[in-house]
Amino acid sequence: MTAPPMATRGAPFDAVGEFGASVATILSKELRGRFRGRRAFVVLTIYLGVLALIAYGAYVTTAPNARIAAEQTLDPNTGVVVGANLANASASIGQAIFALLSVFQLLLVAFIAPAFTAGAISLEREKQTLDLLVTTPMRPGAIVIGKLIAALAFVFLMILAAIPVSALVLMYGGATIDDILRQQLILFVTAIGFGVIGVFYSALVRRTQAATVLTYSTMLLLVIGTLLVWRFWTEVATNSPDNRFGEIRRAPEQVLWLNPAVAMIEVVANTELSYGDFTGVMQSIRGDAFSFGAGSTGVPLPGGAIAVPDCPPNARCAGIPQPLPPQLIAPTVAPSLISAHFLGRFVISFVLLSAALTVAAMLLVVPAGMRGLVRRRRALATARGEGDAVLTDIEP
Amino acid sequence: MTDAIPIIETRGLVKRYDDELAVAGVDLVVGAGEIFGLVGPNGAGKTTTMRILATLLTPTAGEALICGIPIAEDPIEVRRRIGYMPDFYGVYDDLRVWEYLDFFARCYRVPEARRSAMIGELLEIVGLVEKRDAYVEALSRGMRQRLCLAHTLVHDPQLLILDEPASGLDPRARVEMREILRELRGMGKTILVSSHILPELGELCTSVGIIDRGRLLRSGSLAEIERSLRATALLRIELLAGTDAVNAAIEWLGTNPRVGSVLRTTDPSVAPARLEVGFDGDSAAQATLLATMIAAGHRVSGFTQATTGLEELFLQVTGQADEEAA
Repeated sequence: MTAPPMATRGAPFDAVGEFGASVATILSKELRGRFRGRRAFVVLTIYLGVLALIAYGAYVTTAPNARIAAEQTLDPNTGVVVGANLANASASIGQAIFALLSVFQLLLVAFIAPAFTAGAISLEREKQTLDLLVTTPMRPGAIVIGKLIAALAFVFLMILAAIPVSALVLMYGGATIDDILRQQLILFVTAIGFGVIGVFYSALVRRTQAATVLTYSTMLLLVIGTLLVWRFWTEVATNSPDNRFGEIRRAPEQVLWLNPAVAMIEVVANTELSYGDFTGVMQSIRGDAFSFGAGSTGVPLPGGAIAVPDCPPNARCAGIPQPLPPQLIAPTVAPSLISAHFLGRFVISFVLLSAALTVAAMLLVVPAGMRGLVRRRRALATARGEGDAVLTDIEP
Repeated sequence: MTDAIPIIETRGLVKRYDDELAVAGVDLVVGAGEIFGLVGPNGAGKTTTMRILATLLTPTAGEALICGIPIAEDPIEVRRRIGYMPDFYGVYDDLRVWEYLDFFARCYRVPEARRSAMIGELLEIVGLVEKRDAYVEALSRGMRQRLCLAHTLVHDPQLLILDEPASGLDPRARVEMREILRELRGMGKTILVSSHILPELGELCTSVGIIDRGRLLRSGSLAEIERSLRATALLRIELLAGTDAVNAAIEWLGTNPRVGSVLRTTDPSVAPARLEVGFDGDSAAQATLLATMIAAGHRVSGFTQATTGLEELFLQVTGQADEEAA
């Protein structure tokens, strides 16, 4: 009987290829199970249906106001209706749709991504299939990556399939393709991040139930908890006795870097035609840093004009004609308004978190008894090295 | 010659879980083409030993080599050479039978061109040809067990490590499983198989290792183990006598140099009294003992040598271990 030849240590190139092949193996098996039957089709249809309903709801609620606003556009100097600004009215509809869709999609992704991944490893453990998998020559890392991609594939599909719904906005104006791209970026990064958190807990604890609870807790902690912490911190700092002038002392914004909701609010705030809810949130978080005009207390408007916050443009201030400069009435958002402060910080910190947790999950999938292996191998090598040294010492 | 390298070799294998010593220094050697049966009661350390060999656990101490490759140094290479079937395992319900095998074949990087034909062959070996397109979910327990066995073969490994492959099967499925293992032996596979049901292994294995409380008490071919035990055969002697006479008989037996231990297995008041006597000698020596015993006036009403089926062997071996421990 001839033993198979000893494997030769391949170049790193081979290792990468082998890793990729293993990932593809896991991926194809997972997708086969996941997309089999009607389930995937039904879930996707419901998801898109809900989003379309939300978009329609946003239209129904904003359209009448937009029409009135358009009809009541006043000549700022005389207070007389001079004509409708239909472009602005249309943009306000588009913006409302964009705002609602962004928030709801983020919520759905935040709730759906963990549901797909929190069982990725623990289900294999519960169903006792993991032993069969880890006794194959595949690297544990490839198993984790393959499972993660497979679990996220469906979430990605949902996000991508919803782009046409978001693209409705382009018909009305109010948000640009850039805004939609930013929205998509946040959705994808959020899906990856929460997906990885799910896989990590799935590898960490034995039971899927526990992994699910931990994943959702972490998700809520990041989305809501960080906001509460920020608010509480700010409140305490502001009300501290040594704050004699009563200035607002904000908590460090780093607290919110891992919060996808803040990043999304920022994206939506960028599309607001005037000082709206999202802009308000961003301003309260960022303080002076977010007041667009240098040193101004007002809200900047296209063309560099400043609106006084207590009566923003397009708002009807109790019917009293306000002498506002005419350039305030402008339908599009000027580039000077765009801020990507939290967007960038969120994306970078979330991607880093995902990478760290992926590595941790890979290490956790290594069979419990084999975790000391690297250390052991090193010890063996050292022992052998010493053995050689002894031998050479003995030799004259 | 590659034959010289044993397929499995362990040296002083120890595995400790917290306080408990699951494997306490096992030295095991299994040569190519052998079917080695690991026999022992539940909790004896069979599964732990097999999981170490399957690269799922690192030993606390000692070394294990598969085909001469130390497991601790190159587990991935070891995995390519073994097929492992755990005692408890699950299957992927949502796959079809052929997809299940195809998946594992891909895990072992079996070239695509070979996979389809190989799956057909494997299904033939385990008798699941007509279930090729069935969902794994729909298979009976016995079929799943055979499917799991087939999965261990996708990469044509040299060594199969099968942990209780027949557990939970009905007698008929057991017989089928045994037939398959016999066929695999014919294909030249080395097989390490465990069971707590001994007769199951008796006719199948070329060698047996008896393991209890983490220690390998005996190992070798069945005949070898029997021979090694025959030196200290267990005699069951029945005496029709009162307490004093029985005590006298025990004393008399103690003076015989060939007699090891004498144990009274019945209450002193019960007649006939039964003794279990460890005796170092073959049948002729036993006959002499009986003759002299009767000549000495002891009323022997029964004199038998304990039969050495695998079951009996096992009890004897583990019993001796108990005595040594005490």
